[in-house]
Amino acid sequence: MSDDRQPGPAGVDRTDEPDLDRGIVEAWAARMISNPERAYRASFYVATGFFLVTTLFPFFWLLIVAITPRGDLSDIGVFTPGGTPRTEVTIPLLEWTLAVPAGIPADVNAAAFLEIFDPNVVPFHWYIFNSFLIATVATVIVLFVASLAGYVFGRLEFRGRNPLLLLVLITSFFPPAAFFVPLNRMFNAELEVLSPLLQDGSLYNTPYAIFIPLSALYLPLSIFILMTFYAQIPEGLEDAARVEGTTRLGALFRVIVPLSAPGVATAGVLTFITVYNEYFFSSLMTDGQFQNWAPMLAGILKFQGQYQVLYDLMAAASIVAVLPVTILVIVAQEKIVSGLTAGAVKE
Amino acid sequence: MASVTLDGVTKEYDDVLAVDDMDLEIRDGEFVTFVGPSGCGKSTTMEAIAGLTLPTRGTVEIGGRDVTDLPPKDRGISMVFQNIALFPHMDVYDNVSFGLRLRKYSGEEVEQRVERAADVVQLEGMMDRMPEEMSGGQRQRVAIARAIVREPEVFLMDEPLANLDAELRVHMRTQLQRLHRELDTTIVYVTHDQAQAMTMSDRVAVIEAGELKQVDPPLTCYDEPNNLFVAGFIGSPSMNFIEGEITDEGFTSTYTDVPFDPAAQGVEPGQAVTLGVRPEDVHLQWNDEQAAAPTDTYGRIVDVLEPMGDEMFVYLLSDEDVEASAEGRGEGQTLMNVGPGEDVAAGDDVEVVFDREKIHLFDTGTGQAIVHGLE
Repeated sequence: MSDDRQPGPAGVDRTDEPDLDRGIVEAWAARMISNPERAYRASFYVATGFFLVTTLFPFFWLLIVAITPRGDLSDIGVFTPGGTPRTEVTIPLLEWTLAVPAGIPADVNAAAFLEIFDPNVVPFHWYIFNSFLIATVATVIVLFVASLAGYVFGRLEFRGRNPLLLLVLITSFFPPAAFFVPLNRMFNAELEVLSPLLQDGSLYNTPYAIFIPLSALYLPLSIFILMTFYAQIPEGLEDAARVEGTTRLGALFRVIVPLSAPGVATAGVLTFITVYNEYFFSSLMTDGQFQNWAPMLAGILKFQGQYQVLYDLMAAASIVAVLPVTILVIVAQEKIVSGLTAGAVKE
Repeated sequence: MASVTLDGVTKEYDDVLAVDDMDLEIRDGEFVTFVGPSGCGKSTTMEAIAGLTLPTRGTVEIGGRDVTDLPPKDRGISMVFQNIALFPHMDVYDNVSFGLRLRKYSGEEVEQRVERAADVVQLEGMMDRMPEEMSGGQRQRVAIARAIVREPEVFLMDEPLANLDAELRVHMRTQLQRLHRELDTTIVYVTHDQAQAMTMSDRVAVIEAGELKQVDPPLTCYDEPNNLFVAGFIGSPSMNFIEGEITDEGFTSTYTDVPFDPAAQGVEPGQAVTLGVRPEDVHLQWNDEQAAAPTDTYGRIVDVLEPMGDEMFVYLLSDEDVEASAEGRGEGQTLMNVGPGEDVAAGDDVEVVFDREKIHLFDTGTGQAIVHGLE
């Protein structure tokens, strides 16, 4: 092979290489080898596409279910709402028959998105409000307590720190169900002390019954996240704040927390989403009435009656229920990004 | 303005004694520098004054008030940190006014004071910059502005110039001195750089291993060091030490004999002493008129020359068999500081003299100074 013009592996990076005698695949492979960036970009798009399809397809399907008229719910296709005209197509050789959509559905039921707010059926907005409030309160409590704990575990040296931290983290190893029976008995007990605050002196059917156990259960994770962030803030900054006139607590909330914004946002968003979406305590600590602080999830389950399951309304409610979290994440994400670009944790 | 009094301040960590029973009286308006090698406890002492560290024992008084158990914010102090420690999430104005806003000063007062402080450190027009957009020197000035804006009684500075480049450091040194003159505040300054200690302070506190070795004006520390540590630490390049013994005739060692009457100097024959002489007090024999009282001549071999422009350091070996040691100069090696044009070259045999009036004698065992200057 003394001929320089001969195409081959040695000639790959020669840009003037004529690739006339190559097949399409071979030429594509050669381009990938000479320019690996392209290969990386291609695989990035493939992977991203895969994840987007697998995560977004359920939402798409929820949407299809929601807009299908109630009578056509059993007729929902893979990509089309129920009631879409279809034609049978027989695949040659395999002798399979596929119902391929042909034409647009005769009736689309967008009213499902309004019906879910009907106070005579299920006032779903109240359930969302309950959940939103409970999740917000739980997030605030968790962030506050976890900030204090994260400060102690992340920035102070004391005897028994690691065993204590382990003890706190162990709480999160238990399945929440393990706590249910004692908590349920406790929250149903009528405590005279609480009578002035609560109607019948028990915590059942109050928001406390949901956010107290949930705050406690998701606290360890937030403590762990905040601890690692707070530990990275230079000692000098805290000292400077204290000399300038804050207490240790003041330094925590005026200097350490703002500088750990990405960590605080992460812990906050995680807590909010978990509490907002939580099923177990949410469905068992109230009787399912919106007046009794039943959360979003109980509302969705309300569409499942004794004789009829209103799938279209459940689907519509599920989509609406996602919106508050979506908005929160978009807002928090901006904070996270701004916190990172400010070069916050730097001396 | 206030005095600072340390009384028996001790700080013990689990296995280390960081500050050992320190007594110190800093007068009102005085500029005192804590100087010593890394890890000698000078920063811990300052943190004890600031209230960032609780002393294990002892009391701290500021302005006659016992502040040992008060948090930093109630001590009437402000501090400039080695790593500058500006709040990265605040602009210059917010950084400087942080303490004032915490103390609920009125908006107008805050503005006026910030303006005045910015004026002192020449920060006009930078008020809305973020710390990461500024150079090291500018950040340092912001940190100083933040410290002076509250008009504290005591101003603490923990190696404030350590992270600056050499040129800026010299510049800021004069700035700080001017600042001290203008503010007339008590300043406690920590550094390991003895040049800063010498140039700026009213008094230098030399600390080694948590112990105060000497507290005196810089030139006293230089001319009359209390002990071997201070003698070796203050002055750059440091003093030459020659270990030897007292005989009836005076000081004797392998290569250097200095005759004197032991009784007149308060030493006993047989006592082990270390003779100290600074490089500028070693003279070439043909320059012996520069010495107030030249000693006998000693034969030395020129090892290395270090011309600095305005002066020249000459490393001398006592004997060709003596190896120059990297760790420091001992008996065999002597450093001499001569004028830049002296006619010496590496390998020359030269005769040198010491200035008897600038010779120090230390007790080798205890390190304590015995005599500064022989008659």
